[in-house]
Amino acid sequence: MIKDYFQLPWREIKRRKLRSWLTLLGVIIGIAAVVSLITLGQGLQNAIEKQFSALGEDKLFITAKGSALTPGLSTDAVKIRDKDVKVVGRVSDVRKTAGMIFTTARIEFNDNVRYFVVSGMPTDPEERALLGEAQSYKIESGRSLEKSDRFKVVVGFEYTQKGLFGRAVELGDSLLILNQEFKVVGILERIGSPPDDQSLLIPFDTFGDVFGTGDEVGLIVAQVQPGEDTSAVGDEITKELRKSRGLKEGEEDFSVQTPEQLSAAFTTILDIVQVVLVGIAAISLLVGGVGIMNTMYTAVLQRTKEIGVMKALGAKNSHVLTLFVVESGFYGLGGGLIGVILGIGFAKLVGIIFVAVVGPAFLSVEVNYSLVVGTLIFSFVIGCLSGLAPARRASQLNPVQSLRYE
Amino acid sequence: MIQDYFKLAYKSARQRKMRSWLTMIGIFVGIAAVVALISLSQGLKVAISQQFLSLGTDKLIVQAAGGGFGPPGTAVSKPLTEKDKSVIEKVRGVDLVVGRLIRIVQMKFNDEIKYGYVVTMPKNKEEQVLTIEANNYKLAEGKFLENEDSFEVLIGNDFADDFFDKSLHLRDTIVLQDHEFKVVGILQKSGNPQQDGTIILPESPLRKILGVDDIYDIIPLRVEEGENVDVVAENIREELRKEHNVDEGKEDFSVETPQQVLSILNNILAVVQGVLVGIAAISLVVGGIGIMNTMYTAVIERTKEIGVMKAVGATSKNIMLLFLIESGFLGLFGGIIGVTLGFGISKLIEIISFQIFESALITAEISLSLLFGALLFAFSVGAISGVFPARQAAKLKPVEAFRR
Repeated sequence: MIKDYFQLPWREIKRRKLRSWLTLLGVIIGIAAVVSLITLGQGLQNAIEKQFSALGEDKLFITAKGSALTPGLSTDAVKIRDKDVKVVGRVSDVRKTAGMIFTTARIEFNDNVRYFVVSGMPTDPEERALLGEAQSYKIESGRSLEKSDRFKVVVGFEYTQKGLFGRAVELGDSLLILNQEFKVVGILERIGSPPDDQSLLIPFDTFGDVFGTGDEVGLIVAQVQPGEDTSAVGDEITKELRKSRGLKEGEEDFSVQTPEQLSAAFTTILDIVQVVLVGIAAISLLVGGVGIMNTMYTAVLQRTKEIGVMKALGAKNSHVLTLFVVESGFYGLGGGLIGVILGIGFAKLVGIIFVAVVGPAFLSVEVNYSLVVGTLIFSFVIGCLSGLAPARRASQLNPVQSLRYE
Repeated sequence: MIQDYFKLAYKSARQRKMRSWLTMIGIFVGIAAVVALISLSQGLKVAISQQFLSLGTDKLIVQAAGGGFGPPGTAVSKPLTEKDKSVIEKVRGVDLVVGRLIRIVQMKFNDEIKYGYVVTMPKNKEEQVLTIEANNYKLAEGKFLENEDSFEVLIGNDFADDFFDKSLHLRDTIVLQDHEFKVVGILQKSGNPQQDGTIILPESPLRKILGVDDIYDIIPLRVEEGENVDVVAENIREELRKEHNVDEGKEDFSVETPQQVLSILNNILAVVQGVLVGIAAISLVVGGIGIMNTMYTAVIERTKEIGVMKAVGATSKNIMLLFLIESGFLGLFGGIIGVTLGFGISKLIEIISFQIFESALITAEISLSLLFGALLFAFSVGAISGVFPARQAAKLKPVEAFRR
């Protein structure tokens, strides 16, 4: 009995091949668009979350408030200095601290001038390791910055490509940073995100001299003792910094954030963008649903006589209704199935091209099985809903009149 | 003769009312989405251009070159100085030069602390007039800054509204970087979030509280009447290159007209618009497939009819045209409803966003070219979708058509 409900519609769909395919095509396009947009959006979020969680759950990031608009530097409003790093370091349950600073600067090499981000890094190996861990810097050739280094620079992977300055930068070359000569002593491994691969790392003290920032710090990274609660230690740091800076509670001019808090700002914006894009793409699903409805109305009309026969042989209204709803549900499901495959395929393709061109840091496309199942159910429901009105018309046909229908 | 084509097409579409309507819904939903998106993004473009053009075509902006993030003056390698300003003043064709600082400071009011932008008002009276004119500053209450050295501020409209929990009024005191300033004027709402969220103050108090001398973050200037802006810009570049001792192509500063800044913004907008409209256009493809489907069905249903027409002398071309017109009309009518709906939606969004944000940035731009473009497009979508079904109809042999 139930098998009949599925066999009959399937035969009908096969009989009207062209129309079925066109109806399916409408659904396929809509589903593929929605699925690929969601998959790509999630791929973007995956990549960003991976980057932030690579920072490590045991780390806290301390920056000046108001610095969100001028990344890397303190603002005129608030300056964080080396002594604040020491205050953070003295908080119990803080294992290690490191401070760094960065800004955009004029870089000259091979008679070309461009502007890139220069970071002032600690030369102490332990502190550097802490920051290096947070930023996943690894040396590919040459060496890291050492304590005695002054005008030495470690460059990111992209400088070894011809594109940036018309000539590849090699170990032993000299770059002009803000008209000061720096010798290249190390090259970083490729990370895959253009901003990281365009890093220029110089000693912290040299940064202060060249840029006139003295002992100003842009970012403090604090690592929590193993087993301690990160956010509790964060509160402790907030308290100590408040005390040493002479501020009352609620007047903090700095912020202490966990990696999750840092990533929250990004993911919120991404969520909004994704909702807008998917919303616009979903319009095509609506249109596809209307297409199903249209096909079903036509089918009811063409099969009027058939319906009359079925009813004359004892089929109830509900039987006819189910028959037509299942048929239109099939349109939805079939379109959904092909659409999901195409959509994920498209997203994968974009992902592969993106990683090849830009690098893996910003997009990691993964097949989300709950998305697949959700889409299939959704498309079946859309099909059924679109078929509801035509199926009702079919079920309410009067058998005698239907048999007479020409 | 031609009239007949339209009459016949219309009659057969009317006969199958439900199906025709459903087919048209497919088109008009897509057209409405595309039209609304284009109309809103064109409105945004116009609103931004107007803001830039109110600066005037005789202005230039000199800034130190930097990496691009942050407001002018941050993350800058070599800041502009008073000396640079006087060098610019001496360039031929330059009429009036203004130096301004744009900074982020701590703002405290009613025991609430926030961080926001401040920008300086120049000392010189003439420069003040130019600054007020170029930025289109209009007072809602109070007066402009008059006394160069006093700790007085002019606040953007957001501060009189909801920047702090409690709104600021004339003669209130706001604490900037631990120094008290008196509010002497409130600007009218401009709709530009950056201007509405900024505090304007005299130059020397800001230099005092931040301890910056000699530096300017941004130097706007007016070109003498009748001078070519691009030529003057090139002259300024040459003089500043000499002053900074850098070669051509290695400048550590930029000289731009408002139009150049505008064209960068417009490029970004065009990309965003392209992506959104592209995604919305997917639904038009689906709608087109719907038309194709309807037309195939119509051909099958009217096989006998086609046979009769051919038997009484209709050529294949006649039949083809008949079906093409019918499907084109499905597209066109869908388009008419869609355009109306699309303009309606964008107007509605304009009204709602004005109520919520009081910003004139989101406006519906209703242009005739968009209207006719969309209609033409909808008609072509319909006609193109009808090509295959119409060919099938035209190829039917009269004898076989009868037999079916």
